[in-house]
Amino acid sequence: MPVSFQLYMLLGALALLVIIFIFLKKGLLTVKYSLLWLGLSIVLVIFAACPYVVFVLRDLLDIQMPVNLVFLLMFCFVLVVLLSLSIAITQLAEKCKRLTQQNALLERRVRELEHRLPPE
Amino acid sequence: MNKPPKVLVLIPCYNEQDNIVRVVERLQTTCPWADYLVINDCSTDHSADLLRSHGYNFIDLPVNLGIGGGIQCGYLYSVQHGYDITVQMDGDGQHDPAYLSTVVEPVAVGKLDMCIGSRFITHEGFQTSFMRRVGIRFLSGLIHLLCGRKVLDVTSGFRATNAGMTAFFARHYATDYPEPEAILAASLAGFRVGEAPVVMHERLGGVSSISAVKSVYYMLKVSLSLIIDRLAISRHRARKWK
Repeated sequence: MPVSFQLYMLLGALALLVIIFIFLKKGLLTVKYSLLWLGLSIVLVIFAACPYVVFVLRDLLDIQMPVNLVFLLMFCFVLVVLLSLSIAITQLAEKCKRLTQQNALLERRVRELEHRLPPE
Repeated sequence: MNKPPKVLVLIPCYNEQDNIVRVVERLQTTCPWADYLVINDCSTDHSADLLRSHGYNFIDLPVNLGIGGGIQCGYLYSVQHGYDITVQMDGDGQHDPAYLSTVVEPVAVGKLDMCIGSRFITHEGFQTSFMRRVGIRFLSGLIHLLCGRKVLDVTSGFRATNAGMTAFFARHYATDYPEPEAILAASLAGFRVGEAPVVMHERLGGVSSISAVKSVYYMLKVSLSLIIDRLAISRHRARKWK
């Protein structure tokens, strides 16, 4: 692997790490959902900084091309992120439903109370 | 029972401007002893205006929740106002208030926790299309298989629940297409579920919420939900929910 390529990989991984921190600082991302992304960017930085890790993993898993291992890991990671997003959406939908119901009940109560008030 | 039970009728309403006034008027004249609550599920037609101008008792959901979330809101209302029996009755005129007491009676005497108005006991009145009957029979068989409870008209939305059952549904109720799932969840939780014969009409106007294209999706989704529910709700855990 040429050194320049390794340098670009390292820069890209570090950029991702910095972007996530900026998002966290600006409040665009909460820590709860940033953990997965932080994990990914740290792993990418390690892979880029010392490719030796990838070669060892490749030998352990008996995969021919090191790059295939990286693709496999990335794919698994994307799956995990998508699943966690589906879970988050489900939880939000449940909370939203409860809020809607309580809001509707309160609206009816306000309407009833307004009705009982003497006309000004 | 010395005191007559306090009965609340929940009428879900989604784009029922052609029917809703008729349904409420008919309920009030046939069963003046029952309170009612119309649940307007964010209708896009003039249903809300009609409800307001007639001064009916209604709640107005600010976003569309679907039949499950809407009815659950009604159950919450029922719990808050301490009703003994809550009846769900469709807003499209399919369910005849004349049969309200038939559905309420088994719950009022304490024979059942949930009583479903069924059109397949006496086979009178509107029996729906052949394909739908096949689908209903399949779901009925599936529920029988999963919890051992035989219910014929599993998709009927004409059902009476006592206070305990209502509180259970106020906490746990499926979001969309909830009728068959509610039967399974109630049975697994140890509630007594049964049926009473009623006669249903064809809807008076408007369109049904379940179109032909959606039927396949409906069957798949409900069947899967039932199986998941059976796996998720062990009898033990469901009892704890009570």
